[in-house]
Amino acid sequence: MEISIIAEKLFSIGNFSVTNSLFIAVIVAVALGLSAAVFSRNPKEIPRGAQNVIEAVFEGLLSFIESITNDRKQAKDFFPLVATIFLFVLFSNWSGLLPGAGTIGLNEEHAGRIIMVPFLRGPAADLNMTVALSLVSVFSVQIFGILALGVRGYVSKFLVAPWKKPYAIGTIVGLLELIGEFAKILSFSFRLFGNVFAGEVLLTVMLSLVPYLIPLPFLILEVFVSVVQAAVFSLLTIVFLKMAVTGHEEGAH
Amino acid sequence: MEILTQIGINGKLLLAQVVNFLILLFIMHRFAYKPMLSFLESRTTRIEEGLKNAEEAKKRLDDAAKSEEKILADARAEARKIATEAKESSEKRGQELLMEFEKKADTLVVEARAQAVEEREKLFREAKGEIADLVIATTEKVLREKLENEGERKSVNRFLS
Repeated sequence: MEISIIAEKLFSIGNFSVTNSLFIAVIVAVALGLSAAVFSRNPKEIPRGAQNVIEAVFEGLLSFIESITNDRKQAKDFFPLVATIFLFVLFSNWSGLLPGAGTIGLNEEHAGRIIMVPFLRGPAADLNMTVALSLVSVFSVQIFGILALGVRGYVSKFLVAPWKKPYAIGTIVGLLELIGEFAKILSFSFRLFGNVFAGEVLLTVMLSLVPYLIPLPFLILEVFVSVVQAAVFSLLTIVFLKMAVTGHEEGAH
Repeated sequence: MEILTQIGINGKLLLAQVVNFLILLFIMHRFAYKPMLSFLESRTTRIEEGLKNAEEAKKRLDDAAKSEEKILADARAEARKIATEAKESSEKRGQELLMEFEKKADTLVVEARAQAVEEREKLFREAKGEIADLVIATTEKVLREKLENEGERKSVNRFLS
């Protein structure tokens, strides 16, 4: 049994090597985009079948965002990014739980050793995916902040002159917040990666120890953890977005 | 940088994942969120409108029922008033007529009595006249007869003498 922290290479397009996690990420994205687009087309006044599900999911997400922002307009602004993160992370995680993920693959020789390269690997069990999502999230936070407060207003959150009101404390807090913005990338990506990768390791180990029944509770747990991780990632994104668009002065009063 | 490659971070793959996510974001936004959310919004406003209209209609119905009741009550009161008034006025009128008739009857009786008295007096007068005539005529006749008898006697006497 070999569990690699690095996603394995499946095939190459030119000199770009496609890993199994990227492959699955693309498939999840295509499936999600297609189904959402198909089911959202020509919505009927009286919802039927899949439209009910889409409506429930969208309404639920929107009201969830609104419950944090307390502002309908902001909720609508944040909705596309947050909803996409939630749905993409959720379905990525669930795709990693499909039978065969991490277990079906080709045996390849690497550095003199035979290792099995699985076809399926949960996209979030690859740091490239989680770091990519974190970068998108944190970058969006900065963009929303600048759009809401202007460049000067937004920068003044981090760079506080030491001769102004809270003096040196303000300067230090501002710098800490600036460091915090970078720390967000790390915390975002490692939280998601850690949870999903740990889950996959756990499942693989359980499966190799006792193939029947015993892994089932863990599988159910992972289904749940997938939802929680998707919710946490999107929740934190909302919170950071809300913090970014709230001005310094506004927050102080 | 060494640690990054050790934990599997690869610039190309990272970029590919970012691009993948951004494309998904764009597609979801363009083809799912936008149409669906605007649709949901419009339906929400329509439902709100419908509820508001229903409430208004109900209120109007209540108002109509209330005003109907009021109109009915007013009409009933009016009718009662009119009936009472009519009864009163008819009673008054009856009283008046009665009084008038009594008065008229009184005058009629008085007139009749006066007439009767006059009639009797007239009769008396006439009867008196007639009796007088009759007395005169009778007296005349008696006297004449007496006179005639006197004359015959005289003539007889003369013959005899």
